[in-house]
Amino acid sequence: MEKSQEPQPAAAAASGGVEVTLRRFDLADVDAMMAWASDPEAAAPCRWEPYESTDPLLVYLRDTVLPHPWFRAICLATADHPVGAVSVTPTADACRAELGYVLARAHWGKGVATAAVRRVVATVFGEVEGLERVEALVDVRNAASQRVLEKAGFRREAVLRKYCVLKGDVKDMIIYSFLSTDPLVS
Amino acid sequence: MDAAAVAGITLREFTEDDAEALFVWASDPRVVRFQRREAYSHVDEARRYIVDKILPHPWYRAICVSGSNDDRPVGSISVNPAAENDGCCCCCRASVGYRVAQAYWGRGVATGAVRAAAEAVFAEWPWLERLEAVADVENPASQRVLEKAGFVREGVLRRYVLLKGRPRDMVMFSRVREETTPR
Repeated sequence: MEKSQEPQPAAAAASGGVEVTLRRFDLADVDAMMAWASDPEAAAPCRWEPYESTDPLLVYLRDTVLPHPWFRAICLATADHPVGAVSVTPTADACRAELGYVLARAHWGKGVATAAVRRVVATVFGEVEGLERVEALVDVRNAASQRVLEKAGFRREAVLRKYCVLKGDVKDMIIYSFLSTDPLVS
Repeated sequence: MDAAAVAGITLREFTEDDAEALFVWASDPRVVRFQRREAYSHVDEARRYIVDKILPHPWYRAICVSGSNDDRPVGSISVNPAAENDGCCCCCRASVGYRVAQAYWGRGVATGAVRAAAEAVFAEWPWLERLEAVADVENPASQRVLEKAGFVREGVLRRYVLLKGRPRDMVMFSRVREETTPR
């Protein structure tokens, strides 16, 4: 997730010129994944704990990522190795699925997550039958992640109080959504 | 005095003998209009629902009106703990749903049942921090039930649930555990 940043000069404004591609993961991506999977700061807002070795990460790749209905590696246009991951996970209702994303810290603050989320909403509705709503849940204290969603065109709908317990703390979460009919942010 | 007694209703467990009473509201298109399920057309469907879904359910109660001359339920209320996420995210929330026979609408039955159910589950489940409910944007009566039962309206979630195959906008409500509510 992106951290709060000092104001950037206009030339480096987030997401304006960042190009990313999304592709399926491969077992060979495990070493590149360690860049964020082992990082406590990247893991902090996520449901998982940082990985200490590639063995359990390989298990996660094989058992969760590869069979997942929609899980993608975030690659910069300039290279094929992943710098992060994005997923759209089904819920009990076929019309809605939940967005999740994580980015290696070396690429925070450059608009990469925003560019990746924009690619997701531009493509996922055409790929998942019956999907009309992508939603995202963000900690009320995670301003950087809220900005990613807002810049990608998501609409903030509500604060869900005491929504979940994440790593021992009860969290208030903001729920955002992007509908299949919402305008894409170019 | 507990919420149920104040409202003039009691909540109890279902038995198979309640199939005919359940069929009264489960077959009524006006009642099932805002439910995922279609209306039942035969009492056997109600009996099967009791056996397959209600009896094994973690928290499902029949709503009875106190002081009436029989124990027949006039509605039902259920509380579903949220499915536990994988990893180390633990469940702290549950959602409540309710249905009342049309003949008993407008008397505070649903409101009383929701109040009583909320009181009960916060007392029975120490892990519970949040009790939520959604009401269709076109169902103001149900929205009023939740407001009168002390739930806070949090916002509208667009195309949130599939109702008989169509995505519906839903209003999200919740009650959270108060500092003073005993565990």
